Order: sequence, then structure tokens, then C-alpha cells
Amino acid sequence: MLSLYTFILLIFGLAVVLDAKSSSGNSVLVILDPARRPDYSIFFDGLQEKGYDLTFRAPKDETPVLIQDDIPSFAHVVFFESDTKHFAKDITPQTLVELLSGKTNLLIALSQKQNLLTSFAPEFSLILPPPGSSLLSYFPERKENNSVVPIEVPSSSNIISAGTAPVWFSGVPFVLGNNPLIFPILNAPAESFAADAEGITPDALADAAEKGGEGLWAGSQLAVAAGFQTLGNARVAWLGGVELFSNEFAKKEISKGVKSGNQQAAADIAAWTFQESLVLRIDSTTHHLVNTSVPKEHYTINDVVEYIAQISRFNPNKGKWEPYSGINDLQLEFTMLDPHIRTALPPVPGSPGKYAVTLRVPDRHGVFKFVINHKRKGWTYLQSSTTVPVVPPRHDGYPRFLSAAWPYYAGAISTSLGFFVFSALYLAGDARETNLRKAKGAKAQ
Amino acid sequence: MSTAYPLPTNLSKTTVANTASLLRIVALGLISAAAIASRLFAVINFESIIHEFDPWFNYRATRVLAAKGFYEFWNWFDPTAWYPLGRVVGGTVYPGLMATSGVIYNFLHAFNLPVDIRNICVLLAPGFSALTAWATYMFTKEMKDESAGLLAAAFIGIVPGYISRSVAGSYDNEAIAIFLLMFTFYCWIKALKTGSALFGTLAAVFYFYMVAAWGGYAFITNMIPVHALALMLMGRFSSRLYVAYCSWYAIGTLSSMQVPFVGFQPVRTSEHMGALGVFGLLQIVAFAQLARSHLSSKQFQNLLTVAVIVMGVVGTFGFIALTYMGWIAPWTGRFYSLWDTGYAKKYIPIIASVSEHQPTAWPSFFMDLQFLIFLFPAGVVLCFRELRDEHVFVIIYAVVASYFAGVMVRLMLTLTPVVCVASAVAFSSLMDTYLDPTQPEAEGESRPAEVDASAASNGSTASTASKKEKEKAKKPAAGGALSDIVAATSSSKKSKGVWGLDTRLVVIAHSLLMLGFFVFHCTWVTSSAYSSPSVVLASTNADGSQHIIDDFREAYYWLRQNTAEDAVVMSWWDYGYQIAGMADRPTLVDNNTWNNTHIATVGKAMSSSEEVAYPILRKHDVDYVLVIFGGLLGYSGDDINKFLWMVRIAQGVWPDEIQEPNYFTPQGEYRVDDRASSAMRNSLMYKMSYYRFAELFGGGQAVDRVRQQTMPKTGPTLDYLDEAFTSENWIVRIYQVRKEDDLGRDLKSANAFAQGKKRKRTKPVSKRRAITV
Amino acid sequence: MAAPSSSSSSSPVLSLWKAYHQNTSDRLKFIDSFLIFLMISGIIQFVYCVLVTNFPFNAFLAGFSSTVGQFVLTASLRSQVNPENKGVFKDVSPERAFSDFVLGSIVLHFFVFNFLG
Repeated sequence: MLSLYTFILLIFGLAVVLDAKSSSGNSVLVILDPARRPDYSIFFDGLQEKGYDLTFRAPKDETPVLIQDDIPSFAHVVFFESDTKHFAKDITPQTLVELLSGKTNLLIALSQKQNLLTSFAPEFSLILPPPGSSLLSYFPERKENNSVVPIEVPSSSNIISAGTAPVWFSGVPFVLGNNPLIFPILNAPAESFAADAEGITPDALADAAEKGGEGLWAGSQLAVAAGFQTLGNARVAWLGGVELFSNEFAKKEISKGVKSGNQQAAADIAAWTFQESLVLRIDSTTHHLVNTSVPKEHYTINDVVEYIAQISRFNPNKGKWEPYSGINDLQLEFTMLDPHIRTALPPVPGSPGKYAVTLRVPDRHGVFKFVINHKRKGWTYLQSSTTVPVVPPRHDGYPRFLSAAWPYYAGAISTSLGFFVFSALYLAGDARETNLRKAKGAKAQ
Repeated sequence: MSTAYPLPTNLSKTTVANTASLLRIVALGLISAAAIASRLFAVINFESIIHEFDPWFNYRATRVLAAKGFYEFWNWFDPTAWYPLGRVVGGTVYPGLMATSGVIYNFLHAFNLPVDIRNICVLLAPGFSALTAWATYMFTKEMKDESAGLLAAAFIGIVPGYISRSVAGSYDNEAIAIFLLMFTFYCWIKALKTGSALFGTLAAVFYFYMVAAWGGYAFITNMIPVHALALMLMGRFSSRLYVAYCSWYAIGTLSSMQVPFVGFQPVRTSEHMGALGVFGLLQIVAFAQLARSHLSSKQFQNLLTVAVIVMGVVGTFGFIALTYMGWIAPWTGRFYSLWDTGYAKKYIPIIASVSEHQPTAWPSFFMDLQFLIFLFPAGVVLCFRELRDEHVFVIIYAVVASYFAGVMVRLMLTLTPVVCVASAVAFSSLMDTYLDPTQPEAEGESRPAEVDASAASNGSTASTASKKEKEKAKKPAAGGALSDIVAATSSSKKSKGVWGLDTRLVVIAHSLLMLGFFVFHCTWVTSSAYSSPSVVLASTNADGSQHIIDDFREAYYWLRQNTAEDAVVMSWWDYGYQIAGMADRPTLVDNNTWNNTHIATVGKAMSSSEEVAYPILRKHDVDYVLVIFGGLLGYSGDDINKFLWMVRIAQGVWPDEIQEPNYFTPQGEYRVDDRASSAMRNSLMYKMSYYRFAELFGGGQAVDRVRQQTMPKTGPTLDYLDEAFTSENWIVRIYQVRKEDDLGRDLKSANAFAQGKKRKRTKPVSKRRAITV
Repeated sequence: MAAPSSSSSSSPVLSLWKAYHQNTSDRLKFIDSFLIFLMISGIIQFVYCVLVTNFPFNAFLAGFSSTVGQFVLTASLRSQVNPENKGVFKDVSPERAFSDFVLGSIVLHFFVFNFLG
């Protein structure tokens, strides 16, 4: 028998749970000295409003542990304490990678200091600039320091919502290597460059000029915010500086009367990292012969088979998975060592979330796989593989009597008939001969 | 007539005949019992288990047949063999063996005798060996007489050359094939002798059974035509030959094409063209005979000459043209390598790498046949003396089989029956001469020519059974049956012969001693050399007790119980059938060796470095890799010893990437210690075999007992595989293939990172390409 | 079996034909007519295979070997029944020959019809 008070508390708790925005959990560990929390209050309060459970941990604290008994303790980790050199024993690059294998998402901010992040970032093929450098830009003309750089938000970004005002940035840029899993969210402006506080050295400039601009840490090849999605669909957002999320930049005006877009951009980047936006999943896949509905254990060559996939997308506003028919370049491969068939898997109009295609099994027996391998930057990777053996026709699956073979049938049948007639006549002749002989014998007597 | 020893005179002919046949039946029964009993060593010493490699596949197929019925077996597509290509078992197997077991299984179950299919499979070979003994008896009876037949049956019952392929547990095609071989030959000889189409049809039906059972049926396909051709060339064409050969060929060839694995080969390949040619030739000669009876000799000569010339020319050109155009396939590699023995090593390394395909060493002739091997030429010479049609057959068979047995160890099996037959003829002739009690008279008296008593040799044959008491009991009885001798009047006086008892006794005693040695030798060879199920090894401890090494089954059952049901296992093809049979997991390659490229892919993966092998492993969805390593125990049949064959086979398909000389030291030695070449040390096979091997020796020198070399102190490291299981004596080692890194790195760097090493600083990647002039 | 086209051998062929006609019994001629029927049937099938198509090769083989097999069995019967050959076939009486013939033909036809479709 529950009291009214507990009952209301329960409902409230349920409401909180129902209001969860992330598709993979809402417990967040923030590695930041709690004393510095007020500097980022706009960002953190925004998170809490959405329903996230924030836990703060100073870098030297032993608890709460990142991984307990081989299970990650939190669904998301925010790493803002990038200026510190020494961390607790369980915060190492190796444990952070383990977190990713455990499907924990990371939001990491870099800094000029050399700490564990400097050895961690290259694993994601991020190439960091020489130590001590930060992003500098003399343009546009502004009253701030040349290390505080305004950056336009690209209109084609699918992470930061359209129409966001330019953001203020201060920190370290980096260059993306050639790992296909990483993609830029925000690139540095074309006129910016990376150098330490004194500015770029003339030697480095001359060197780079000789090489035609190679090796110069400058231009829009530098990225200040990048996203990385592991093959297990855990997301990591790399930021060049933690100031991007600070209250100060959020409140600073980008131009007369226009507030900077930092608050919006910060919320959007966090939303992407915490598996709210651009999250897809394959609900189910099935295959069957056309005009039937039950999947077969194995198919025969040249069968016509229909393959159906059901895909949904997470709606962060409602906190639910909804069928999604917006992927128009989904591909299906029918593979045995190499794809024998590669065809488009279009959405079926009229059935939300359903993608179907009809294909003819190749003329080759073996163990085939239906493979969906859809990777787009920013979106969850859709990977599915269904194994199905393809057998040759049964011995009575071939057409039996062919019209082209009629002379042979006629020949064989005529031989058998001839044999019967022959033996009958032969025996009759035999009987007649013995009768004759008997008659002769009788006569002779 | 005077006799060396007295004979009873008051026995009627029918009594003697009845007693003789009773003795024969008893002797045949004892021979069957001896044959079956001497094959049971493995079952008694170890257990009722299927041996070796190939029988495991036959056993799996038979299980499918017994469980699901014949049509499911006929259409069986095995998706777990040769992953992911699969194997169409129904069309690539000789179904005779499985069908036989299935019939016996259903027959016993119809009587509600719930015999497990495994026991049927294990005991099928001994059962059929008893039938082989009977078939050899019938065959030799046609050659000489019943006594020679009994001797031949006894010989083939226990001779090691046949036992090696038909012990209990060796569930392979040869188990029933030799019986079918001898019985088909018996039917053929009987057909030839009587000229009856019934025996010709019977020969064809059993030939069909043989085609369904063993790939060696091509031997019969060529022996019978060669025999017919030899008879025609000797001028012994007769209507009987025509009847026998044509009924055999017509029905036999048609029925042999019913087996899907054979298909249209009998009219398309060179191995079968001999039979077709002789068939055509027989028609021509028969028609010529017919025409001769109606024409005068001179006209016939003209007609015959012209006709034969035209036919010969047309026929030869026809064959050459068809072969050239490819309509008739040339000799396949397997058979071609019998003529050109160097062919396989150069072009088909898979065939050359099988140990059974190596040339026979001299000692193995003695080990397999003992004193039969020197009685054998004597028997062939005796056949020359008689030279009836059937003796020509034995002579041809003897010559051909001797050649083949010299080329390939495996074909000792086809030599064994004819050796038994010929030596039985020789031995029996010897016994006839010395058991015959008639002595030549002094001049002037008439002496009947004697016909030997069949029962006389009965006594000696019965003694070859393993009981010594029976020997003593039979001997006195032998004398009684001797009065089978008919007092036939002779036309010629016998002036040569053997006088007195003493010579007779010496020779007979010596022969019996030889037979005794033969029995002793056969039993010893069987028990020590041919009765080990190679799945289980045995050795002796320091105190003499037996120590069973069961590593194989331990590892296969680990796989069976600890891995996912569709986990794919990669190993060298030797172990494919065993893995499929005992561990029940999909394999990449197995003993069927039908796809050389797939085997070469496995060979390439084994002999390349980890980075090169890993994409191959991932492409084929390999989850586990299995290697056999004998270095700890001294087991010399391990994969490092077979490694060069893997390299050669891979080199055959990828000569640019794999070169055999890279795996030898610069001096040309095959080393695995610190002097091993870098290709060797980095190869996947080497790493998997010696991973953590040095740790076993606790800091001391690690010694590989098979290669007799000391291993370096630091062993190899593995980045792309994890050790999953190593058996008790380190014979079987199983490794799990790691999945791709989550972060998309290559596993080597991922491992280095996990151990705490830092990456080198890299410069930004240039997005611009240099202009090349 | 074609007679060669040499002018000097036309007379052997004619005399062969005359001798054959005179010397063979009616029963043997009856068997020979069956043989010729089988031969014609076989030649038709072979010509069809070579000229038109050999596609259902198994059907061709079945039909052709049915004629060839029946031909040799009948020829064997002929030689066994021929009273001139009595000395050659000691164990096979004409009745036994006929029963062998029937048995062989039945086995042959069984395989033929199995292979045909």
C-alpha cells in the first residue's frame, strides 16, 4: 500500500524517464572540476532540462569509476578538463577506447596542453598542431583578441541546425587524417592559421611557401570541431577548445545586436553526440520467395526472392523510434566472397519505414549473404548480414521429358516393343517347331 | 598303381564328394571368421570409432542417409563444406558405400534390431572382407580348382595389403570395392568360359555397383577390354568372347552412367575409350567370322583385308579428330600421373602432396605380402603353362597391377588380389605334386595318371586358421578323402615322380611352416601397423603402460562445445573431414580437394604475414584457425612439416606473391630457429605454431622435437589472432580471428596502443598530388 | 559394316548375299530381321544427334544404347542358337540362351528407362 506522496514521486520519476531524449540512456559523467561548473552553466542547465542526469567528477577523483566490472557506468562522458596534466588512475586513453567499445559516447574538448588527449587523439586520425599552438586569425576585424575567432556555420551541416549564427571559437585546430569514420563539423575560416601566441614564425612561412603551401597549418583544411562514429555506432565529438561551450561566448554578440550561435551550436553538437539526432536502426530484415510470406531455410538457384528491411529513426522530441522512409540511396548486396548482385533498396511508398526489393538469385549455388552496409557521415551506420544457402535444383527439379528428344524416346520405346514382339514370336516359333518335331516323331513311330 | 602311403578303398564316390564339400564349407566359414577377427584389433584396443580422414566424410554422409532417407541424401547440398562455396554432395560422391550401409541399417531396423549407424559403418569393412574371401575363392576355382580357391581365400583373408584398407573403422570406399572387383572379375571369367549372357549381365550389374562405389572402377573398365583384345590378338576369338564382352559392355556402360558423379564420362574421356574401341573391334571380327562361313576363302580374304583397312583407318582418324577437337577429353591428371610420374609434382602439387601417392618402397612389398611376393611370379609362370583364356586374364592383371603398385603406394591394394590368386595357384600346384600318393612304377608297369584330390589341400588350408588344434585334427581326415582318386587308366607311363614318404614329408612340413610364418607375420603387422585409428595415438610410458594421446578429439570437442554453431574454421585440408565430422563446424577446405584455388587461398593465408592474411580471413568469414603442431611431443605429421606443400600450392596460383625459395635460409636449409628466413618467421603458420612455445620451457632452451632445432628465446607475437585453445600435448592449437577494430585502425597499431605505446607525430596528409613528368 | 567400294569386291558381296540366303535357317533369318530393325533405329538416332542437336544427351545415350545393347544381346542369342556353334557353347542350351537373352534385355531396358528422363 503506497502513500500518496510516494505515488506522486513515482509518477514524476516515470515522467522524467519518459521524457528521456537520448536513444541510449541519459546518465552523463562530466569530467570537470565542479568548481568550474558555473562557467558552463548555460550548456549544462540546457542538458538537465532535456532530462539528462549529470554527475560531475574532478579529474583527480577516484569515483565514480568510468568502467565498473567491465561495464561502462555511464551512457555518455563529457571531457572538458583538458588543461590538466594528471588524472586519476582509471582515466587513461585505453579505458576511453574501452568505453567506446562499450557503446559510450564521448564529447571531448582539446587544449594546447600536452596531456593524455594528445596521445588519444591520433588514434582517431586527428593530427594535432605543434604543441602550444592555437587558432589565430586577423580577420574579420574585431575588438577581441586574434585568438578568439568567429566561425561561420556551414549551411549544409546536418548536425548544427540551419540558420545558426556564427559561433565564437578559441582553442586548438586540428587536421583530419584519412580515416573514413571521421568527418568535420566545423572547419576553421580560410584566413585563419595555427601558431603559438607570438604568431607564425617567418621561417615556417618561408618553408611552406617553398613547398607551395604544404605543411602550413592554415586555411579551411583545419577543423575545429569533428565527429567520429565508431563501427559500433558510438559517437565521439572532438572540439578544439572548451570555450565554445562557455557562458561567456554564448552571451557574446557576434555582430551588432545578434547573439552568437554558440548556445545553439553547443546544444546541437551535444544532441548529436548523445545519440539524439541522426540515429537510425534496422528494426528487422526478412526474405522470402515472392508470393509467399514465410522465409525459407534455403533457396534454389534462379529463384525470385523478395528482401524487406524495416528501418526507423529516433525522434528526440518524442523520445520514440518512428519508421523512417527518408533514405533514398540504400543498397543491398547479395554476396558470396564478392557481391554477385548489388541493387538499390528503395523505400516502399505507402509503408513508412519499409524498404523492399525483388531480385533473382544468381545461377550459382553456395552460401550467400544479404548485406546492408550503409555508412553516411553523421548518420548511424546500418549494417546487417543474413546468411542463406542457395542450393542447386533437386534431381526432380529439372524438366523431365523434353520435346527435342522425341526420336530417342521413340527409339527406346520401339526397341522395347520390338523386344516383346520378338520374344513372343520366337517362343511361338519354338512351340510350333517342337509340335512339328513331336508330330514327326509320332509319324516316324 | 603303387602309392606312397595307403589309401582307404571302401569309400563310395558320393561320400567322398559330400565330405569334400562339407569340408570346403567349413573351411570357408573359418576363413571368414579369421578375416573378420583379424580386423578387429583397433576396436578391441581402442574403441569403435571411425579412423583416419576420408571415412569421417563417408560417415557423415551415411548419417544423413540413415536419418533422412535416400532422396534427401541424393539431393544433399552441404553448405558447411568448402565454405562459402558449398558442396553438392549428391553429384560429387560415389554413393555405393553409403547406400550399402543404409540398406543394412534399414534391414536391421526392420527386424527391430536397433544397431547404431556408427557400428554398422565401423564393422562394414570386416564383413565385406569375408565376402571378398569368398569371391576370391570362386575366382581361383575357375583358374585351377577348389583347393587353390581355398588357399587364395585364406591368403586374401589375412594378407596385410588388403587389411590396411579394410580394418574395422576404416569406412572407406575400398572396403566394399575390392569385393566388387573380385566378384566382377569372377562373373567375367565365368561369362567367358560358358559364353552365357547371364553371367555377362551379372558382371555388368556388379560393375555398376563397383562404379557406384569407387573411383578405381576405371581399372575394370580397362582390364576387361585389354583381356579381350589380347585374346583376339592371340587368335582366340570365339563366340563366347563376343557374347560375354558385348553383354558386359552394353549393359555395364549404360548403367555406369546412372551414377551422377560419373555422368557422361564413359563416352567422353580417354580412360573409357579403350573399352569402346574393343567393342567396335569385336563387332567387326564377329561379322567377319560370320561372313567367312558363307564365302570361299579367297573372296573372304579380299573382303576382309579391304574392310579391316578401311575400318582401321576411319576409326583411328575418328578418335584422333575427336580428341583433338576436345570432344573426347584427354587423360585426367590423376590417371596421367600414373604414366608420367613427374607430371604431378610440376603441375598438380595437390596430387603429389598426398603421401599415399608416393612411389612404393621395396620393403613395403614384403611387409604387405610376405612370402606371397615370391610365389607370385611362380604362379604367373604356371598360368603360362596352362594358358586357357582365363589364365591370360591373370597374366595381364598381374603385369598391369605390378606396374601400378610400383608407381603409387595406394595401388598396392589392387595388386594384392592377383598376388593371392597367383601364389595360391603356385602353392596349390606344389601341394598337388607332393600330396599325391602315387609313385612312379619301376619300368614295365602301367600307372594311372592321377587327378589330385581337392580335399588333400583342404587340410593345409584349414590349418591357416589361427587355431593350431584344427591343424592336427584336419590332417588325418585329409587322408581319408584322398580316395576321391579315380582309378583312371592312363595312356602314358609315368617315369618321373616322387618316391617315398620322406621327400613328401619334408616339403609338406616346410610349406606348412611357411604358412605358419605367414599367419604370424600377418597378425603381427595388422596389430602393430595397420590398426591404429589415427585420430587417437598411443605411446608407452616409462613404465611400459599405455599412454593415450587424445588431443585431436579434445580439440574438436572443444570446438563443438565452445563455439557458435556457424563459426567457420580454417585449417589445412587434411583435417577438414574430421572437423566436420567431430566438431560439426563449417570448414573452408577439406580432403575432397576439388577446388585448387580455394586450397591455394588457404595456403596463401597460412604462408603470408598477418597483415596480408587478415583480409583473406575476413573475406571468408573465418572465425577460428586450427593448426597441428607436433614440436612438443615429437609428432612428425604436423603442419610445419607440411608447410612447404602449402607454399607450393599457393605459389601455383600466386607466383608473384609467394615464392618457395623465400622460406629457406640463404644456404637452402629449412630452419625454424633463429636462422629462419624472415618470410618464414612472419608467416601465419609459423607464428601460430610457436606462439608462447618458448614459455613452456621456463627460461631454458625451447627445443622443437620434430625438427630437432632450438627455438629463439622470444617467440612470435600475434596481433590479428587470439589464442583460443591449445590441447594437452600442444598438438592442436586453435586461434580466434579478431574482429576489425572499432576505430577503424589496423589491428597492429591498435594493439600497440592498447599496450601503451604512443604513435609517432604525423604531418597533415597532403591532399594535392605531385605532377609527374 | 559398309562394303568397300572396290570393283573387285562387288562379287564377294553378291556371293555373300547368295550364300547367306541359301544357308541360313528361317529362325536365324527372323533374328537377323530384328537385328536390322535395331540397327536402322540406332542409325536414325545417331544421325539426328549429329545433325540436329545433342541437347538432352542422356536421352540420346539412353535411346542409342538401348538399340546397341539390344542388338548385341540379340546377336549373342543368334550365335548361341546357331546349330553350327554347338561345340562352342557347351554349357548353354538354346533354351538357356533365350532365358539369358530375356533377362539381359529386361535389365537393359530398366537402365534405359531410368536414364531416359
